[in-house]
Amino acid sequence: MKDEYICRCEEVTRQEIEEAIADGATTISGIKRRTRAGMGLCQGRTCRRLITQMLSKVKDAAEITPPTSRPPVRAIKIGEILEGEDD
Amino acid sequence: MRSSDVVVIGGGVIGCSVAYHLAKKGFTVAIVEREDIASGTSGACDKAVLLQSKNPGLHLKLALESIKLFPDLQKEFDINIQYKNNGGMIVVQTPQQWEVMREFVLRQKNTGLEVELLDREKALERQPAFSKDIAGSTCCPMDGEVNPIYLTLAFKRAAEKHGARIFLHTEVKGIKVENGEVHSVITSEGEIKTQFVVNACGVYAPHIGRMVGVDIPIIPRKGQIIVTEPVPPLIHGDVNCARYITAKFRPDLLGNSEDARLGVGLSLGQTENGNLLIGGTREFAGYDRRTTHRALRAILKHAASLVPALKDISIIRSFAGLRPYTPDGLPILGEVEGVKGFVIAAGHEGDGIALSPITGKIISEIIAGNLPSVDIDISKLSLERFKGLDTNGFRQIHNCYGFAV
Repeated sequence: MKDEYICRCEEVTRQEIEEAIADGATTISGIKRRTRAGMGLCQGRTCRRLITQMLSKVKDAAEITPPTSRPPVRAIKIGEILEGEDD
Repeated sequence: MRSSDVVVIGGGVIGCSVAYHLAKKGFTVAIVEREDIASGTSGACDKAVLLQSKNPGLHLKLALESIKLFPDLQKEFDINIQYKNNGGMIVVQTPQQWEVMREFVLRQKNTGLEVELLDREKALERQPAFSKDIAGSTCCPMDGEVNPIYLTLAFKRAAEKHGARIFLHTEVKGIKVENGEVHSVITSEGEIKTQFVVNACGVYAPHIGRMVGVDIPIIPRKGQIIVTEPVPPLIHGDVNCARYITAKFRPDLLGNSEDARLGVGLSLGQTENGNLLIGGTREFAGYDRRTTHRALRAILKHAASLVPALKDISIIRSFAGLRPYTPDGLPILGEVEGVKGFVIAAGHEGDGIALSPITGKIISEIIAGNLPSVDIDISKLSLERFKGLDTNGFRQIHNCYGFAV
């Protein structure tokens, strides 16, 4: 199951995530920087949990901090954000 | 006790480049990083390798030397750093900006940069996504792009290949100095005996400096950036606006509007995956790394006025990075007077990615005692140039009252 996709948006496989962990990543952000997992359209909504499970094999699950939440909550058109601006 | 010829503190792009260049020369090197590779500023920036944004003179000279090194580095790296030489444009909106840029471009040409001013029609030909309302733009074929995270990881991996050891999630607790010489670095994982310490901690460099009684005038300048969904090719090369240049070098000219206080100026580019990176701000907000709705709206409004097609594209993420700002906008490089073996490589503000190759090379030559291979007066980049500066005053007027621990 090495070629199973963990992050579907960016098509990152289980093996790539295992390699990132072997490279020293111990956080979800560390895996993201190495593999792009969680950088896609859904921003890690699904893969975050799967990656946490994988990380918990090398690290105490209680110490796995979630990545920083940043706006927007979901994809939104720039035009919609700017609606109501003066010019 | 472990020992190493050099201990590099900081696993960002500068620390990893320094470690790579030293390990390649045959030094034993240890990188000590509190969190992870590229977990700070190097992982929270855009992908531009700009020459045009450098002040004509020493700053631009450094960048010109640095950019030459990217192609060979790519050959040596196992990781594709996505370096491309697609050029860059600084879009000009008003006749006043045109005058400012004309003078800036002339000075840059005299320092050896290939750059020209394009009228509206020619600018639109090169970059059809620009608004029809612009006055024109500059064009510099030497500007490039690189994936900053992959660049940092590639330096790290190449350093490891040459024998460097990487200590992640390891915090520096203190630095022992004996008879005015660096003796060892005390970390959360034990002590490492060493002859040289390289402080490559960017905005946190003052904290490490304080461990050896050295006051380093670096403060964080926050830059917020927005990421869009991937879209077909829309933007070619790097795009900035004349206000970005003004916000960088002459914020006093921006006036007192909210945009001016946030230091809003356009930086726009498209990644290999198709995501657009839209920036940015230059704010003095201490060590706060949060994004703000106010700044994100201001960035998007400004960007959409220059590239109207952005309105139909969705954003998926925002982030902020802290750029290490110095009083004169130049990095601090070299050994510190009075503490033998304590070397600083920090304070690159928003130029760390572009200047990382040359910085690593220069620092490795200083430590090896080699003659400099580039014709640049390194003494002008020493910490000693700030002698007599009121460092606390500098921090306070920029909204930065202490060190982050």
